[in-house]
Amino acid sequence: MGIYFITVRSVTVGQQAENVMRKGGISCSLQRTPKWMEEQGCGYCLRLRTADVTPAVQLLRVAQVPFRRVYEQGSDGEVREVRL
Amino acid sequence: MIYLDNGATSMHKPAAVGRAMMDALKSCANPGRSGHDASMKAANVVYHCRELAAGMFDCDPDRVVFTSNCTHGLNIAVRTLVKPGSRVLISGFEHNAVTRPLHALGANIRVAGRKLFDWDDTLEDFFQALREGVDAAVFTHVSNVFGYILPVEQMAALCRERGVPFVIDAAQSAGALPVSLKGLGADFIAMPGHKGLLGPQGTGLLLCAKLPRPLLYGGTGSESAAQDMPGYTPERAEAGTLNVPGIAGLAAGIQYLKQEGIEAIGARERKQTEFCARMLNKMGITVFTGPHQAGTLSFLPEMDCEIAAQILARQNVAVRAGLHCAPLAHESAGTLSTGTVRISFGHDAGQTQSREFLKAAAKLMPANL
Repeated sequence: MGIYFITVRSVTVGQQAENVMRKGGISCSLQRTPKWMEEQGCGYCLRLRTADVTPAVQLLRVAQVPFRRVYEQGSDGEVREVRL
Repeated sequence: MIYLDNGATSMHKPAAVGRAMMDALKSCANPGRSGHDASMKAANVVYHCRELAAGMFDCDPDRVVFTSNCTHGLNIAVRTLVKPGSRVLISGFEHNAVTRPLHALGANIRVAGRKLFDWDDTLEDFFQALREGVDAAVFTHVSNVFGYILPVEQMAALCRERGVPFVIDAAQSAGALPVSLKGLGADFIAMPGHKGLLGPQGTGLLLCAKLPRPLLYGGTGSESAAQDMPGYTPERAEAGTLNVPGIAGLAAGIQYLKQEGIEAIGARERKQTEFCARMLNKMGITVFTGPHQAGTLSFLPEMDCEIAAQILARQNVAVRAGLHCAPLAHESAGTLSTGTVRISFGHDAGQTQSREFLKAAAKLMPANL
């Protein structure tokens, strides 16, 4: 089962996103973005389960919380960007 | 001590304020910089306060910028809207926190509304000045010297109709009167955290409807590879490490206000102000009072105002005397040469304070000296 990361520009946006997830009944954790995922230098991301990523992206779009990219970490450990 | 200097800072804070600060000191690291528990706890403390402030002042949490005081916020707002030579409209009751940044920038200042407690005069003069053409307006919600509540809703509406960007100084109103960023349509509203909001000194808020111009440049914990400050709030105006213990205390102060209700607190303050004004007047002391007055009252004893404040202090009554950093307000009221003695009530306003103050004030009468 894979893990997904949704990157955001700052901890404040990450917390807004976390609130939206909580209200939408989606479990996630806020953490620092792995360096290679963040082209601007530093940032935060939400870590989610595979089953939650599509509704999570939908919730963020509806709530107009800006996010950057979505990454999937497969069971082989490899991480790739995905478009949703 | 009978503390009646809440206009300068509130001193008797709810116990939860100190507890929250101590907890933050012991358990919070730098917010928005790292991913470990202590950093994330600090980020949660900060965001919790943003949410509480956003709820109280009707805006989104990311529009709440933490500052070190109201002056800091006003400087950011003024420097965002005003350029050298800009025509800036201000009320006749502004604090130096507004007038000094404008002077430093070389703004062309137009003062409108000089009559105390007179909404018609304030609005008429303000309207006339707007018709003549201005680039921005900055006005206080409540005079820190006289407690005059300006008609900010109407002033804001006039600015909006003319498309004039404006800033509101809520130094004396935040925590005692309703303030809404969305409702007023202001570009910026600045306020201290340590007065009516009952947080510690070293805290303040700037509510931003517009993207602010940074006053400080530096680290924000985000977009570190870029040399420009982030193009979004709050990080754009929050360079450097935030005052996390202060913000934790401020959150506790706002939480207390939510429970008590700012309408109830404001009403208590106004009731005691009216009572003291009436009694001082009966004693033959000149008081500055009228309709639209908040929990602040200035009076003129028949002696130097600083000496009067010393006499009160010796009786354990804390007040402020002098110009209160607002010479323009004194010029408007005709008290620039004398200054005034000011009492300002806080969330704990009550009859005991008023009675003790009035007992002490009786010593200011020449016959009792």
